[in-house]
Amino acid sequence: MSDSKAIGARATRTSKVEHTAGDPPEAETVLSVRHIQTEFVTRGTVVRAVRDVSFDVKRAQKVGIVGESGSGKSALALSILGLIEPPGRVTGGSVWLNGREVPLRDDRRMGRVRGREIGLVFQDPMTALDPVQSIGDQVAEGIRRHQRRISRKAVRRMAVQLLQDVEIPMADHRLDDYPHQYSGGMRQRIMIAIALANSPDVLIADEPTTALDVITQAQIMDLLERLVAEHHTAVILITHNLGLVAEFCDVVQVMYAGRLVERSGVDDIFDGATHPYTEALLRSVPRSDHLESGPLPSISGAPPNLAALPRGCAFEPRCPIGHGREVCIQEQPMPILLGPPGAEMRVECHFASERYERARAEGETR
Amino acid sequence: MIRFMGVKLASGLAAIFGASILAFIFLRIVPGNPARLILGPLATQQAIDAQITTMGLREPIYAQYLNYMGGFLRGNWGFSYSAGQPVTTQVANRLPATVELALYAFLFAFIAAVVLAVLSTYRRRAIIDGTVRGLAIIGLSMPPFWFGILVLMLFFSYFGILPGPEGRLSPTTAAPDAVTHLYTVDALLHGQFATFLDAVWHLILPAITLGLAPFAFLVRLLRANLLDVSHEAFIVVVRSKGIGRLWAFARHALPNAFLPTLTAAGLILAQLLSGSVLVEKVFNWPGIGALVSDSIVRQDYAVVQAFILLSAFCFVVVNIIVDLLYHVIDPRVRVS
Amino acid sequence: MSDSYRQGLVGRTPGNTAGTDSPSPVPLLQVQDLVKAFPRRAGLFDRRAVSPPRAVDGVSFDVARGETFGLVGESGCGKSTIARCVLYLMRPDSGQVRFDGTDIGQVSTKDLRRLRQRMQMVFQDPFTTLDSRMSAYDIVAEPLLIHGVRGKDERDDRVRQILSLVGLIEDQFNRRPHEFSGGQRQRIGLARALVLNPELVILDEPVSALDVSIQAQVLNLLRDLQQRLGLTYLFIVHDLTIAEYFCDRLAVLYLGAVMELADRETLFREPLHPYTDALLSAVPVPDRRRQRRRQRVIIKGEVVPLSGPQPGCRFRPRCPVGRDRETCANVEPPLREVSPGHWVACHFAGELRNTTVIA
Repeated sequence: MSDSKAIGARATRTSKVEHTAGDPPEAETVLSVRHIQTEFVTRGTVVRAVRDVSFDVKRAQKVGIVGESGSGKSALALSILGLIEPPGRVTGGSVWLNGREVPLRDDRRMGRVRGREIGLVFQDPMTALDPVQSIGDQVAEGIRRHQRRISRKAVRRMAVQLLQDVEIPMADHRLDDYPHQYSGGMRQRIMIAIALANSPDVLIADEPTTALDVITQAQIMDLLERLVAEHHTAVILITHNLGLVAEFCDVVQVMYAGRLVERSGVDDIFDGATHPYTEALLRSVPRSDHLESGPLPSISGAPPNLAALPRGCAFEPRCPIGHGREVCIQEQPMPILLGPPGAEMRVECHFASERYERARAEGETR
Repeated sequence: MIRFMGVKLASGLAAIFGASILAFIFLRIVPGNPARLILGPLATQQAIDAQITTMGLREPIYAQYLNYMGGFLRGNWGFSYSAGQPVTTQVANRLPATVELALYAFLFAFIAAVVLAVLSTYRRRAIIDGTVRGLAIIGLSMPPFWFGILVLMLFFSYFGILPGPEGRLSPTTAAPDAVTHLYTVDALLHGQFATFLDAVWHLILPAITLGLAPFAFLVRLLRANLLDVSHEAFIVVVRSKGIGRLWAFARHALPNAFLPTLTAAGLILAQLLSGSVLVEKVFNWPGIGALVSDSIVRQDYAVVQAFILLSAFCFVVVNIIVDLLYHVIDPRVRVS
Repeated sequence: MSDSYRQGLVGRTPGNTAGTDSPSPVPLLQVQDLVKAFPRRAGLFDRRAVSPPRAVDGVSFDVARGETFGLVGESGCGKSTIARCVLYLMRPDSGQVRFDGTDIGQVSTKDLRRLRQRMQMVFQDPFTTLDSRMSAYDIVAEPLLIHGVRGKDERDDRVRQILSLVGLIEDQFNRRPHEFSGGQRQRIGLARALVLNPELVILDEPVSALDVSIQAQVLNLLRDLQQRLGLTYLFIVHDLTIAEYFCDRLAVLYLGAVMELADRETLFREPLHPYTDALLSAVPVPDRRRQRRRQRVIIKGEVVPLSGPQPGCRFRPRCPVGRDRETCANVEPPLREVSPGHWVACHFAGELRNTTVIA
């Protein structure tokens, strides 16, 4: 199903130029992120958590953002919602929803966007709900915030309906229960109910299943998949689990040291990533089809210090391709568009075109 | 719930029992002959022996204890020789002043702590936060009697805007008709507005002095809790629903930060209700603290004993109330 | 064949079938009918002490020298409790733990101390299990001091040697835990476990807290050390991808009991227990082609701890095969050997697999 959608989307898009801040986003695009920069300042050191990140999300599209801890993926999510708290600050860029710019720096006006047009499912369901308020109150809070004219009774009815939608048994009774009376999986369902309460156009799910067991994870992902399909909601799934991305997403975005280093259709990326980091990341996951081929290919070294980033490519010190090369040390690579027109492929690497062409040639001979 | 309350009551009673035994034994051990104190230095040895017998001090110590506790439960708390009054009368005269002062001190400590903790964490401005933390440190480190004298010098002697150490009311103001024995409440009940204002006017300095240390303690606790809670994931989730910063703070951060301070607040209230010797002395406040300190000096057992039992009782009651409050406020504690 | 085979060997437990051929017939670790229950805290006035649910309920397995034995299952399946019982950090209610033939429940405290030198544990969270005020060197030297390894020079050599072995370089030795990355901290934890030259290392989720690329580094290191030092691993893990990559044999646990036990190949290629099937199909596969081919069995509900001893199969409430079957409700399925080395606790082992292949 996701395949046909991806193909359809490709056919309608013909060309793509580099984003500029003033670009009016295309019609079918629900969310556009343009040149977002986020910094955290502590004791004089500036940690650059998100560096010049731009991307588009189309209606009902499922975009995965993968990266290791400290890659800036969670900071990006909070930046889009305007929820970066001091000492952090969004220092540049803009976010567009349905063609209108979002008032990122105006907390009051931003409140009308959050929860209504963008919903958030947060990681760790154990701490994501207020322990001293009933589930019903917490679900209703979001409804009442954006739909002020409806009666208490109607809000309750809507809350019950939402709980039924996320498959909570005996929703009517469980509405008055408190978070500690729910299991981890059930709480994550509640989180989804809260995030979808006002049928937002975009749902950001930040590691929604990391704290859960595999079977519960599969249940939650199935539920999420069904609901977003019903609501035509676009999803940004932030995760470190490449398997989840392969199963759930249409498009994958890889973050490294605060930058979006690669964006590709999910089939392209799992067939052969273009960015050396993505490639190494994919190869370092144990896979049963090459179990006996010696040690796991791992990425040597550790992610860079975001407070003291190198001048050139942040991956250069660990990169099997570019390590020691002058251009990689000196110049920050700019995004290069690859593939047929309309392909969702965009890679920040000095050798992207070269690698892409070679991979394609190899693919044809194979 | 009933089982829970049963357990709480039983342990409370055990605590009171323990306190009574400790108080009883301790005061029998301290040196000094009460009979001589009562009869004066000129009394004969015979008279003193007779007095000891009538006081029951020749009986075995457990019998003395049983006698005393039996009397205590029947409302006979013993006789204060130094004052020539039954202890019950004395305590009844003195307790309201202490209770009224304690309540206002607690009110001040509590409200000031909440307001300042919120101010210092809500916007995370370094200046406000630094000031609040400074105040807390001053409050914790300053001896209350010294602070009392300081504010008296400042607001009474120098500016003359607040009354001096003259007790609960101005000499010219008559006490309102007794209903609760708390002047501010009684005055309001009878519509005596001037009396009410006079009582409040007299309460300001002692209440602040007495409440300073509890305030400092609570503000530190609350501030730390608020900082912890405001970093919790659920605050981000609340905000992601479109809820404003202030509302998220008031409706979600504050209740969660407040809960763990409840026990401490209860203990502080109980402690305040037991009176403060030094603060009452400085402000010439006719409370129980001053009475007890005088009684200790005069080796007047009966009063000290009654006081110890009374404060044990006070702690137990306040603790039970705190536990009940947890049941009402915190769903996690509620027995399903 | 299986049943007669089993009867032929009295007291045989689900161990390594190959073990009989190896030169050392005694497995390094034998766990037999291990039971551990955690009584719910009964209050002073609460005398309704019912028999508490068992966190570990009759678990048996053998670990042969040099192999990696995996314990997999969801949270609450008892895998960590088993590890703690194996080390006797926690006393089992009943059952035996034999280390190199010795029943460690029977030995004196002094001998237990000596045995513990030969069994070490590596924990999940490298940050909370390292003392933040001690340097890497001191952390690794501490076990030597505690177990009285004499001679300052000897100690010093040993610590330096082991720290280099796990991949730290000289000038990192005196740094403190917070100056290291997660992967490096796990290396220190590993060095601390290995410094006493143990034979058995219990790895409790050693890479769960680490990033994907760092996981690979640590897993490689663990493999390398196993080969070089001839270590035996008891590997507690919830991530089935890692389990498949790393373990020679595995036991799948559900609510304190073994559901299935087999070598890696068998367990992942031909799982016979419906729970194993459900677990495997819930794992997201980072490969679009394999993913489309596979059958998904997503079972409903969540793990609900048993409230006490109950008849029948513990997995029945969620089981797609036996939910409505009388046998499953009344008779607890024994762990039986369906083919050499492949043990399953299910009345209808393999049925799910057969039906889904047909469907």
